[in-house]
Amino acid sequence: MTPDVFLFWFLALLIIGSGLAVLLFTNPIYSALSLAMTMVGVAAIFITLHAYFIAGVQLIVYAGAVMVLFVMVLMLFDIKAEIQAFSSGKISGAIKLISVGLLSGLIVGGIIMGQKSFVGELSKDAVQVAEAQKVKKSTSPDAATKELGMVLFSKHIFGFEALGVLLTVIAVGAVALARSRGGTHHAK
Amino acid sequence: MGQDVFEITVNCIKLVLIFLMMVQAVPILVWVERRGSAFIQNRFGPNRVGPLGLLQLLADAVKFLTKEDFAPDKAIRPLFYAAPIFALIPATLAFAAIPMSVPLEIGGYVFKIQGYDMNVGIVYILGVSSLAAYTILMAGWGSASKFSLLGALRASAQVISYELALGLSIVGIILLFGTFNLTEMINAQQGTLSFKAFGHTVTSAYIPNWGIFYQPLAAIIFFAATFAESNRLPFDLAEGEAEIVAGFHTEYGGFKMLMFFIGEYGHMMLGSALMIIFFFGGYGIPWVTVDDVRQWAAGLSESATTISVITTLVHFLSFMIKFVFFLWVFIWVRWTLPRFRYDQLMDLGWKTMLPWALGNTILTALVIYLIS
Repeated sequence: MTPDVFLFWFLALLIIGSGLAVLLFTNPIYSALSLAMTMVGVAAIFITLHAYFIAGVQLIVYAGAVMVLFVMVLMLFDIKAEIQAFSSGKISGAIKLISVGLLSGLIVGGIIMGQKSFVGELSKDAVQVAEAQKVKKSTSPDAATKELGMVLFSKHIFGFEALGVLLTVIAVGAVALARSRGGTHHAK
Repeated sequence: MGQDVFEITVNCIKLVLIFLMMVQAVPILVWVERRGSAFIQNRFGPNRVGPLGLLQLLADAVKFLTKEDFAPDKAIRPLFYAAPIFALIPATLAFAAIPMSVPLEIGGYVFKIQGYDMNVGIVYILGVSSLAAYTILMAGWGSASKFSLLGALRASAQVISYELALGLSIVGIILLFGTFNLTEMINAQQGTLSFKAFGHTVTSAYIPNWGIFYQPLAAIIFFAATFAESNRLPFDLAEGEAEIVAGFHTEYGGFKMLMFFIGEYGHMMLGSALMIIFFFGGYGIPWVTVDDVRQWAAGLSESATTISVITTLVHFLSFMIKFVFFLWVFIWVRWTLPRFRYDQLMDLGWKTMLPWALGNTILTALVIYLIS
């Protein structure tokens, strides 16, 4: 087992484990901290792929700014009431199931569409150019970032947008938690 | 890591050495801080244990290690115990990317005086050090104490606010030197001041070619923001003693508290090192280039190895002098200025430093576009 393979499996298991922990913890704080752990793991995967710029940006934007804000906001709530609101109620449970189904459908659709390379002629060329450049294995950070941008916004555009939707859902969820019954703003 | 066993071994030892250097500097800094504060406040400070009170550090370390390992009754154990350990990680990881001298060339091997040379050093350092907010939040939440939680919320709000001004103030420097690489940035600051404007080359014999002469505003904003990032006075709202005891580390004692201390001093060291690299020519000696030093060393010795060793040592010394000076400024400011009020802190961050940093970025971009 080479170091690269070991690192990949270690990081992959870490990411999947912490990703599962995000879903399985009932305490929102632990979920948020696990999500931060997932982000750091993904950044580490980028480093093993020699994409240092993406790794750094991943750390600054997601782990360093977005998740810190979520954790901070969550700490302002009355978490004991939150645990109950999280794990009870038939209607809310049904809504949760439906939203999970919708979201996973969106992501699966994104991946399938990405594989079909459901893109226009112009961007198809861009993909080919980008992949040709990738073979050259350039080391300058600008070129690597440009290539990644090309691939991301042409071939994997649906997956990328699905991830954007996912982040919006998280943001809306965090705000909804703040305003729901049991939060700091009690319905009087 | 390297081509053969020797190079890999040296590189591994180097990583450990950099970590130890950072950790071992902390007791000395604590001593300087206590003696320095005493000097500033017209007191004596620790002067009983050993010459000049220097052995006080050793006594303190023994005291910290032998204290009772205490955790509050309702604390969340995993978070409570993980937080001090996590406090060490961001500063240590980021410090590994700081170039401290010119590479050492011994018999065909080239050893960088730096943990790891990354092409995008700045992005990496900013990314890793932005994780420091989690340790504060984990400590505040895990302690299950109201003082800790309030301190943690204040501290993380402050760190997030000032990270924006910090990041924006560096953009001007990145535009100026056109690189994310710290070593290239230092190379661009060697010799005396000279730059190209409208096809002419402007030179000055008296001013070194340092970033601060191109970006004075960015230097001020960056330095102020590093104070806020390392939670030191005048920005230490996180541990305002009069209001919230000791903030996020109220419930910590003994070695666990010492680890938070090391994290704080680590951020201070990182701030000083970055300040030097961005605005004060890094390991470069003012008015002199690395080649000049190498030629001077060639006059002293014949062997290439000796020349390389002398060059590296001289530049390391230059780095250390600047480094120690800025660490002293950190301590000096702490014992000179009073603490901000919370609304003043937020006003300064969002309404003063952020717009000025943004303006500086736009101005720099415009000037660079017009001149070139």
